Amino acid sequence: MADAPKLVNITVNGKKTTAPAGTLLIEACKQIGIEVPSFCYYPGLSLQGACRMCLVEIEKMPKLQTACTTPVAEGMVVNTESEKVVQSRKAMLEIVLANHPLDCPVCDAGGECELQDMTYTYGAAESKFIDIKSHRDEQQWSPVVFFDRPRCILCYRCVRVCGEGMDVWALGVQNRGQGSVIAPNKQDHLECEECGMCIDICPVGALTSGSYRYKTRPWEMNHVGTVCTHCGDGCLTTVGVRRSDTGMEIVRCDNRDKSGINGDFLCVKGRYAFDFAANQERITQPLIKRDGKFVPATWTQAIELVADKFKQVVQKDGPQAIGVIGSNRTTNEENYLLQKFARLVLGTNNIDHHRTADFPAFAKAISENKARTASMRDVFEAPAVLLIGNDPTEQHPLLAWQIRNNVRLHRSKFYIVNSQAIKLRRQATQFVQIPTGAEARFVDFLSGNDAAAGTLTQAGASNENLSQLRDALKGEQNLVVIFGSELRGADISALVKFAAPQNAKFICLGDYANSRGAADMGLFPDLLPGYATFAGAARYQQEWGADVPALVGMDLKQMFGAARDGKLKALYVVGSNPVSRYALDPFVLQAPFVVVQDMFMTETAIAADVILPAAFAYEKSGTFTSTCGDLQMLRKAGDVVSVKSDFEIVVRIAEKMGYDVRKLVPFGKGLRADMGQSRGAQSGEADRHSVWLQARGLEPKVSPFDPLATLDEIQRLIPGYDVSQINLVSGNDEHTQLVQIQNASIPSHPELVVPSNDTLFTSGTLGRYSTVLNSVMERRATGKEVAAD
Amino acid sequence: MGFLKNVSAIAKGMSITFGEMFKPTIVENYPDGPGPLRGAVFQERFRGMHVLQRDENGLEKCVACFLCAAACPSNCIYIEAAENTEENRISGAERYAKVYNIDYNRCIFCGYCVEACPTDAITHGHGFELATLNATNLVYRKEQLLAGVPAHVGQNVVFNITEAAKQKMITK
Amino acid sequence: MNFSDQLEARFADMLGHYPTKRSVLVPFLLYTQDELGYLTDEAIEEIAQRLDLTALEVRNVISYYSMLRTRPAGKYNVQVCTNICCLLRGGEEILEHARKKLGVAVNKGISEDGVFSVEEVECIGACSWAPAMQVNYDFHENLTEAKVDEILESYRKKAQQ
Repeated sequence: MADAPKLVNITVNGKKTTAPAGTLLIEACKQIGIEVPSFCYYPGLSLQGACRMCLVEIEKMPKLQTACTTPVAEGMVVNTESEKVVQSRKAMLEIVLANHPLDCPVCDAGGECELQDMTYTYGAAESKFIDIKSHRDEQQWSPVVFFDRPRCILCYRCVRVCGEGMDVWALGVQNRGQGSVIAPNKQDHLECEECGMCIDICPVGALTSGSYRYKTRPWEMNHVGTVCTHCGDGCLTTVGVRRSDTGMEIVRCDNRDKSGINGDFLCVKGRYAFDFAANQERITQPLIKRDGKFVPATWTQAIELVADKFKQVVQKDGPQAIGVIGSNRTTNEENYLLQKFARLVLGTNNIDHHRTADFPAFAKAISENKARTASMRDVFEAPAVLLIGNDPTEQHPLLAWQIRNNVRLHRSKFYIVNSQAIKLRRQATQFVQIPTGAEARFVDFLSGNDAAAGTLTQAGASNENLSQLRDALKGEQNLVVIFGSELRGADISALVKFAAPQNAKFICLGDYANSRGAADMGLFPDLLPGYATFAGAARYQQEWGADVPALVGMDLKQMFGAARDGKLKALYVVGSNPVSRYALDPFVLQAPFVVVQDMFMTETAIAADVILPAAFAYEKSGTFTSTCGDLQMLRKAGDVVSVKSDFEIVVRIAEKMGYDVRKLVPFGKGLRADMGQSRGAQSGEADRHSVWLQARGLEPKVSPFDPLATLDEIQRLIPGYDVSQINLVSGNDEHTQLVQIQNASIPSHPELVVPSNDTLFTSGTLGRYSTVLNSVMERRATGKEVAAD
Repeated sequence: MGFLKNVSAIAKGMSITFGEMFKPTIVENYPDGPGPLRGAVFQERFRGMHVLQRDENGLEKCVACFLCAAACPSNCIYIEAAENTEENRISGAERYAKVYNIDYNRCIFCGYCVEACPTDAITHGHGFELATLNATNLVYRKEQLLAGVPAHVGQNVVFNITEAAKQKMITK
Repeated sequence: MNFSDQLEARFADMLGHYPTKRSVLVPFLLYTQDELGYLTDEAIEEIAQRLDLTALEVRNVISYYSMLRTRPAGKYNVQVCTNICCLLRGGEEILEHARKKLGVAVNKGISEDGVFSVEEVECIGACSWAPAMQVNYDFHENLTEAKVDEILESYRKKAQQ
């Protein structure tokens, strides 16, 4: 640890204060509650000193100084509100406004515009200029980025965030002086990652979002902070919703609330790919197949039919004739409930999900070596990071952002071992390219097998490179080790064993929003929640008050095999598309009674007998566990009448099957009243009330459809999950450590791990139905302009 | 002296009474008066039913900025915005109000919306006969609130409106 | 894209003059412009690639300097100064005269035969001999309309050779 920097004494507006040497004056002022206005200064980005709004008077300096570029010095006496300063601010605003069109009534930024705020605060609402403002037509740079040149105030935030933050460098400044203009990299359009960071960071409405443009105004929406439904990084996203004919329409997603693990960051998916919710092809009523055709039905009809059939199968063919496939996109509570439903209501261990990483082996390795997992925040702070496999820029954009910024701002060391020349190599201290599929051999080499080195050098790395890397890694304390689905089973153990002695922390990368949660909640035929084998079932039986079936169930592929052999009579698929993901034969699903709970007519849903339309993450509450293990709470934002959350559907089916719902969901204990925590966006006051109640142990869980009641149970049963619930309800992230309940040897099925291989612009089924993502990809493929809305 | 003071006070009071007796009546003979307003007479400042104004080219002045809705203390204005296109130009700016409803069950005619409007699109007209037996009739839609298209539109269009759009505007 | 051997040699030489590759950019652009007449898209891509820059960065620099251009100019680029000293001594009139004579209506326009282009420029550092103009890299000072005619005529003759 470096010594803490020396404190220096400064006086601001007569207030004496201290700040660490090297602190920027603008930050030091902020610390004591004195706001110095600025446009171009943005924490975390390089200094620009372009806008001149932060000019302050410093004693013994002849001219006004920019607070954003002046570090504090001993004995500095600063005045931020002197007559001179006030005048200069006003003059600066007047100049900024000289060419700024006053089209606030139609500008998308109206109401959340920093220039508006400043003009209100510091004056200059009336201009002395009488010249005609120069006008340029708005330009479309990409399906999602529009540029309105006259509104631009040349703060260069977009240029810096695109270059430094995203490492894309797609924006630049052309011409000079008053004629300066922000320019895209392809002269009249952008070729970039379409992350929209430039739009978010723009203090005015110069850069606007293609999907939100002219739709509504910021104060007309409700803003609900929830967790992104795409990749496994768990970015907090603020969903803007407004009333519509069909419930609550999602108008935009942004990161207005910068308190999440993602801070400023959101990628193209988090920002724009919510539009699948309103896709025309979305299934919004239960469908029952009659004579080979889907016929709309009521919820009561559909649920009765499903419950009857399930009951019949269990009674006639036994519980082994029924299979359940869970989802990577449903909440922890729903996953937990689903496995409980399978094991208790149906009485079978035939439950599985689409595995995108070998989490069971990871859990075992962590427990065996008494190692710890890293949170997404750790990645930003670690002194060194090792990345084996995966391409975070494409598959884990937030992770890539954290690594880039850690390297840039903290000068951390970053080592990459990959079979491809991934983009992150530009930040790497050392990049070692190995042959495709050689990640396991690399781990072998790390563990001390020098012979393995010979097979690793075909892709360009030399023996010296490899040894150098191994030596460097051995010298790194508090390293964060990140690996993709390339490593499975024993390789993970070996890797953890190698790095654990150096106090390393680990991240195993899975693909979807809640892959980690699905694994933690025990969507396995051979593992209970918390990666416990059946030998440790007693603990669960005690909590559940029922026996856990002893027989190990069938995995996903075995279920399809059994269906082909006529042994599987019913299949319940929740939010998953195994037919496409595992390239399985959909015709084997003709014989069994198949229930699919999903949003769209997927390859699996086509083969179903009953389709139940489900709500997705932004339309319900619950918790998600990010791939790092960061637990966060979802809040209901959007709403589509006639679809139901998976939680509710499962509970209803169980109830119709005659099962005592109280045994399934532990609701109705203690003081009870629904104070609105299940209503999300519509609840307003009640949500704050619920935080208060939580803090006093008076939390209301009155309805069997309340996921928080199940969260209680999860927290009691799964050791890593006993984190502060108040913190979760308040919208914060809590890191869950992986604690395997009994350190048993876990059956691992590396062959069942099928990474989704999503790119920056795809996201499984949801991505296929996102108009924005499709238009972005079309734009990239054809090079033609495509409107996003 | 007290007596004189009282008499003068009474005389002063009665002088106003008698004075008024000989002035012409100012009570309006509504609804039995003459003319289309049936005898109703308004001050210029009277705040009646709103009118959504058009500009000199017949385009709607409203740009759907939502400021009226934000200013409204009784929350009675509902707007949905949409983007103008070359083929379908409704307002002079980029955006127009696709839906503009005022709920007269709630409106208190305070005039805040008129004050808030940056484009002078919404004004108070003198419409006042709003009574109805059915409350749902009191939700007025944009079509009911819009001012008529000026007669000269069609001959004197400055804005770049296509022929089809012009025709549509005139026949509306 | 290939440059002439002479330019390639110059480029190779210049690389050794500066601590970073990027520093070569401005001189390289200037020499390339002299060779090609203007900076073509192809040349920009090539230069960006050689200096490990993005084409955008190269364009940013080009747009900053008024002497770098991305559109063709005439064989002889007549640059008339209208900055303060020249202005006082009739620079505007010289510019107007040159434009009229060469039939160039707009700034940076090219004459019909493609021989001349006329450009209004800021101070070219010849204030002591104002009004002045620069044709490509040659200075012409103490101008009068008659002198301008003469100069232009000499260039036209040169072009015809």
